Amino acid sequence: MSQYVVSEPSAPPARPSGGPLSTRRDQIGAAARAQRAAALDAWLAAMFPDHLPGVSLIAVGGLGRRDCAPHSDLDLVLLHNGTAGIDRIASALWYPIWDAKLGLDHSVRTLPEALSVAHDDVKVSLGLLDARHIAGDQDLSAELIAAAADQWRRTAVRLLPQLREITTARWATHGELAFLLEGDLKEAAGGLRDVTILRGVGRAGVADTMRPAVRAADLRLLDTRDALHLAVGRRVDRLVAQERAAVAELLELDDGDALLRRVAGDARTVAHALDDAWRAADRLRSGRRRGAPAGAPVRRPVARDVVEQDGELVLARTAIGPVPDPSLSLRVAAAAATVQLPIARATCEWLAAFCPPLPMPWPGVARAALVSLLGSGAGLLPTWEACDRYGLIDAWLPEWARMRSLPQHHPVHRFTLDRHLVQAAYEATSYSREVERPDLLLIGAFLHDVGKGLPGDHSLAGAPVAAEIAARIGLPPADVTTVETLVRLHLLLPDVATRRDLSDPVTISTVAEAVGDIATLDLLHALARADSHATGPAAWSDWKGRLMAELVRRVHLALDTGELPAPPEPDPELLTGELPAVHLDGDRVAVAAADRRGLLAAVAACLAMHRLDVVAADASTVDGRAIVEFWTQPRYGSPADPVALAADLRRVAAGDVSVTQRLRARAMSGRGGTASPRVVWQRAVATDAAILELRAADSAGLLYRVATALDDAGAELRAARISTLGSDVVDAFYLVGPWTSAPERDRVAEAVLAAV
Amino acid sequence: MKLVTAVIKPYQLDAVKEALHALGVAGLTVSEVQGYGRQKGHTEVYRGAEYTVEFLPKIKVEVLTDEIDVEKVVDAVVTAARTGKIGDGKVWVISVDDVIRVRTGERGLDAL
Repeated sequence: MSQYVVSEPSAPPARPSGGPLSTRRDQIGAAARAQRAAALDAWLAAMFPDHLPGVSLIAVGGLGRRDCAPHSDLDLVLLHNGTAGIDRIASALWYPIWDAKLGLDHSVRTLPEALSVAHDDVKVSLGLLDARHIAGDQDLSAELIAAAADQWRRTAVRLLPQLREITTARWATHGELAFLLEGDLKEAAGGLRDVTILRGVGRAGVADTMRPAVRAADLRLLDTRDALHLAVGRRVDRLVAQERAAVAELLELDDGDALLRRVAGDARTVAHALDDAWRAADRLRSGRRRGAPAGAPVRRPVARDVVEQDGELVLARTAIGPVPDPSLSLRVAAAAATVQLPIARATCEWLAAFCPPLPMPWPGVARAALVSLLGSGAGLLPTWEACDRYGLIDAWLPEWARMRSLPQHHPVHRFTLDRHLVQAAYEATSYSREVERPDLLLIGAFLHDVGKGLPGDHSLAGAPVAAEIAARIGLPPADVTTVETLVRLHLLLPDVATRRDLSDPVTISTVAEAVGDIATLDLLHALARADSHATGPAAWSDWKGRLMAELVRRVHLALDTGELPAPPEPDPELLTGELPAVHLDGDRVAVAAADRRGLLAAVAACLAMHRLDVVAADASTVDGRAIVEFWTQPRYGSPADPVALAADLRRVAAGDVSVTQRLRARAMSGRGGTASPRVVWQRAVATDAAILELRAADSAGLLYRVATALDDAGAELRAARISTLGSDVVDAFYLVGPWTSAPERDRVAEAVLAAV
Repeated sequence: MKLVTAVIKPYQLDAVKEALHALGVAGLTVSEVQGYGRQKGHTEVYRGAEYTVEFLPKIKVEVLTDEIDVEKVVDAVVTAARTGKIGDGKVWVISVDDVIRVRTGERGLDAL
């Protein structure tokens, strides 16, 4: 065993500090990253034994590139020549690192072992390209670095398809950084891992991938990650909404929205560069496979003026003249989306430079191409993104610049505004057979949120903007009116379905009047569903779907025949027999008792104790009996025990107060909210009643407290509809009476707010 | 009353059992589990791909004890299970609301 000196472990480099803003800002940026790397290098080198030939310590990953974020891991390889006692040398290095609470990814390999692992695993291959000598036998390190680079150059073109598959799977899991409101800076498409791949593809000699724009985007993404680590205080790569403001401040940006825009722009640059790189690799592989192409390239016509060549769409010779057709770029995009092939880069650049602006109003062929593009299905998103990259969308739609990468602030949204609109058009294609005018559905879906970012209610602000766009693209006046209506009323059906009593004739007649005709009703129904699906997983549920379908059915009937639905009959089981009576049926709970006062509140309390959320409630008096009916959903997934629930319900209906006492005690501990609750009165939208709408944070027993407050204030509650979005609730209470006196309304409103 | 849970290396089980027996601990439960910690299941001289994570077989030991003795129990387990190498595991303590002896129905400390 050779003699070597093992150094004593010295103190690890200092952890990132807090302190004033300027101190923290000093820890962001390329210089700070290099400094952190240098400190780690020195510490690791000090721990490495002196006079030890045939062993070296190599950094890969972030440390290898000197891109160390404040809380990054270390990626180290201990390289050796079959040295005896290598396990003790390894332990002497790794244990101090673990004890310093630094993350460590380690391996101990001989040169042939390292090359063999790299040969079989493309991710390891890519990692070794960043290898950098830290300590020990420099010649040994240099040998590995050279051999790894050489092996990569020889095998990359064969390995790239495998890398592309892994990348596509990763993107499917993590989404696209350019459009997500909370994207992972490292793993999402267009993030830091993709930059590493770009570097590797460049090193393989496939294409010049690391252009200035990509380098700049890389530096800005690294700075953003530095700031995120400092803001959170540990290794987190996902830019969550609550950290945006702090990160923006550290980066000296105006606010969280500006940060999101910057990240989106950088992610797009990286994603587009990677797209180009894959295509270059494909061309290289097919070129190598076939040998030198013989004769003229094969061009297959796809649409008027558009041909396919080598798997990409290019312009036919007929299209290129002194005065090109202004609808050409739209037609090329429509063709590309329909056949799901990419547009050649040169073609995009030519179109951006030479395609003349469209006349106003647009000719029919341009409008048809837009509709065809929006309705193309799976090909829409990649084609849209390519057109956006080259500025073609801005030429079609000047309003697009305002909407690009616009953040959305409600937590139920996953996407930025631009992607949400295109996604809505994509989702709308599923419903095109249900409407008379699928073209208006697609245009309406694409424009439905065009009012976001403008002051005021976005439906009302967006309607005139949408009307102007609709007129500009050449729709006849009747269609422009339809599009305007769709945008103005796109939230009507979901709001009414979840917050109003569908059996009240006034609800149906109000909607029927607003909508006007059946064709528009069908369009609004399809649009509401497309919008929900394009928002995020929390925006849709089967319950909402059924309510909306029921509303549409009743409004359909009203528009068709002028008939309004009759109020529903109460449960016949409760009309006869002993009191109190309880009937449980799936998600419906019905209770009958002798006395009306406080019954609804007490039953609500009982349901809350059994962890059931109420979505709708109706109260009535029939033949001197008070009957309340509730529709419920279990709060935590598993349904309540029906026997225990029925027993408790019978007790509360008989006047037992123990349940409400227990709920009051629990509710006291659970309260706490951020925004203050609000109350809005709506009159003349219900039969013989006014609606009191409460917007507040959801909490157990809220319905019970408010119903009790309404009882105490002397208001008679006929029905309640509860709609939940994330952690907020909108409760609509139908209070019997005309409620014409403003002081009366204020008194009740105050009582409700005090109870929240 | 407290529940002391320990995840340890399988071949340290005998040492831990002896140490607890010497303390007078009346009973314990043992299960075979898998796990990993910061080192992702890799040995000191691991040579595979860095980003993979491996499960290693471990033993989980659970002991019910009262508040007074819990520190002694924890110290005994930690000392007996320690080898000084990665993979030694962790011990943690949680509060227990009630314990019942099935055969007699005794509750609380009487059931320990």
